[in-house]
Amino acid sequence: MSKSILKKLGFLKALIIAGRVGRVTRKYPFEKPLTTSEFRGKIEIDETKCIGCGACVNVCPSNALTITSRGGEIILQYFIGRCVYCWRCIDVCPTNAIKGTSEFELASNNASDLYEIVIHDTFSCKSCGRVITTTRMRDYVLGKFQLSENYIDLGPDCRRKAFLSAIERRFGGS
Amino acid sequence: MRAGEFLKKSIWVFHLNTGSCNACDIEIIDVLTPYFDAERLGVKLVVSPRHADVILLTGPITHESLPKVIRAIESTPRPRFILALGSCACGGGIWYDTYSTIGGVPELLKILEKLHIKVDGVYYVPGCPVRPESILYAIGLFKGIVGKKIRRRVKRAIV
Repeated sequence: MSKSILKKLGFLKALIIAGRVGRVTRKYPFEKPLTTSEFRGKIEIDETKCIGCGACVNVCPSNALTITSRGGEIILQYFIGRCVYCWRCIDVCPTNAIKGTSEFELASNNASDLYEIVIHDTFSCKSCGRVITTTRMRDYVLGKFQLSENYIDLGPDCRRKAFLSAIERRFGGS
Repeated sequence: MRAGEFLKKSIWVFHLNTGSCNACDIEIIDVLTPYFDAERLGVKLVVSPRHADVILLTGPITHESLPKVIRAIESTPRPRFILALGSCACGGGIWYDTYSTIGGVPELLKILEKLHIKVDGVYYVPGCPVRPESILYAIGLFKGIVGKKIRRRVKRAIV
């Protein structure tokens, strides 16, 4: 008889354990979140360092980063809604313009909030007028290599043509 | 217009997996365990979309699941809300342009608009997978407990 009552009151053991352990529930929206230094959150693009080379776009596995040329401007667009937080863009950025944060509170009721856009100025080819790359990119390349002034403002095709015609002139082609 | 104005009482959620890799689904289970305990915010998981206020949508919505997703959303009573959990639901994720998926909730909303099915609001919760805290934050945003932290940013690179 007493055994069966003890069996029925067996659930009280859980209360004893619960009393020993205490409260485990996090009060999260009302307290600080648990994030470690290794946690990978959203990335941030520093517009003062970005040169618009598109290296991050090449490695992005989900094409969260896209680069488009529109109306004389090159636009680098980061769509957080598609990002998988692999941080490969940070590894590959030549100017360390992309910085990783531990931000994860990214919920929004509007899809347009999830976009981060960097607009770059471009320069056009002097002879054919086509948009080549960003002005920042040209300055970055000029800082690395000494390029002749004749070829700075030319596109790749026009530069090749100009170079060949220069050789032609030197060796007296037909 | 905030969702909390419509739903002053507890929100009942229906979990809808539309072809996700199950990582986000495991995080949803995490949120319901005593450690994070979404029930203290009034969240209750229900088994039928007819009982639900909010649909927790995970996955990039495969073509195979699309008719079922539309049926589930149609049978949810108004006001109905969608919580798009994870990168896949928010914008297609890794599978945004593959042959077998439609690419997330933005594409689904276009299809629903053609079928004249109204959705009162969509909450996007990015993350791959979403953190349990991220889901709790979204629920807090939904109920008006916390404020929105993210906004559209347009920067100009000055030469």
